[in-house]
Amino acid sequence: MTPTLPTVVFLAVKLLALVGLGVYALFAGIMVRQEQLMGAVLEEAFEPVLRVVTIVHFVVSVGVLLLAIVLL
Amino acid sequence: MGPLTCFAVNPKGVRFETQQDEEEVILFLRQHIITNIWWVLVAIIMVLAPTVVLPFLLRFLRLPINLPPGYFVIGTLFWYVATFGFILGNFLRWFFNIYIVTNQRVVDIDFVHLLYKEFSEARIDKIQDLTYKSGGVFAAFFNFGDVYVQTAGELPNFEFGSVPRPERVVETIAEVSRKAKNNV
Repeated sequence: MTPTLPTVVFLAVKLLALVGLGVYALFAGIMVRQEQLMGAVLEEAFEPVLRVVTIVHFVVSVGVLLLAIVLL
Repeated sequence: MGPLTCFAVNPKGVRFETQQDEEEVILFLRQHIITNIWWVLVAIIMVLAPTVVLPFLLRFLRLPINLPPGYFVIGTLFWYVATFGFILGNFLRWFFNIYIVTNQRVVDIDFVHLLYKEFSEARIDKIQDLTYKSGGVFAAFFNFGDVYVQTAGELPNFEFGSVPRPERVVETIAEVSRKAKNNV
C-alpha cells in the first residue's frame, strides 16, 4: 500500500503550491501592464487582440490560484 | 498588415509613440518569423507533455506517496496556463521588438523581456555606413540577416537583428538617407 504524506509535509507542499501560483499570477499581471506600455509605444491593428489575450491569461492564472485555495 | 508581418514597405495602420504628423513610416521590420522556431518547438513539447510524456514516465516511475486528486487537477491546469504564458511571453517579445525607418529617422524599439524595454532613434541624415551580414543554413535558406547602421558622432549605432531581406533593407535605408541628405 502506498503511504500518504504526513499532515505537516502536506501543509508545506500546499503552501509552496499556493505561493508558486501566486507568483505566477503576479507575473501574468506584469505581462498585462507591460503589454499596455508597449501598446502605447506601437499602435498596430493586432495590438488590442494581444491586450485581451494577456488579460485573459491573467484572469485564468488568478482563477487557478483561487481553485487551488479551494481544492488543495 | 497582419500580426505576423515581419517586413513591410510603406505599411498602413502603423504608428509609434513619438511619430510626428508629417513623419511617414517607410519600412517596418521585425525579426524573421522563422527565428521563433525554437520556442515554438518547446511549446509543442510542453503542450504534449501531460498527455504523452507524463503517462510514459509514470509507467516507469511509481510515486512513493499518494497525492490527492486535487493536486493533479491543479498541476495539469497550471501546466497549461504556464505553457500559454510561455507562448504569450515569447510572442510579445517578438511582436514588440521592431525596427522602423521613417522619412526622418531610424527607430529601434526593443522589448528585451517583461521588465525591460529600450527605445533608440537616430536622424536618417546622420547615417554614415550601412552593412549587412547573413550567415548560416537557416539565414541562407530563409533569406534573413543582421543589418548594421552606423551613425555620425556620439549617436547610437543600430543593429537590426535577423531581419528578412537584409539587402533590400540596406537599399531602402540608403535611398531614404540619400534623399534626406539632399534635402538638408
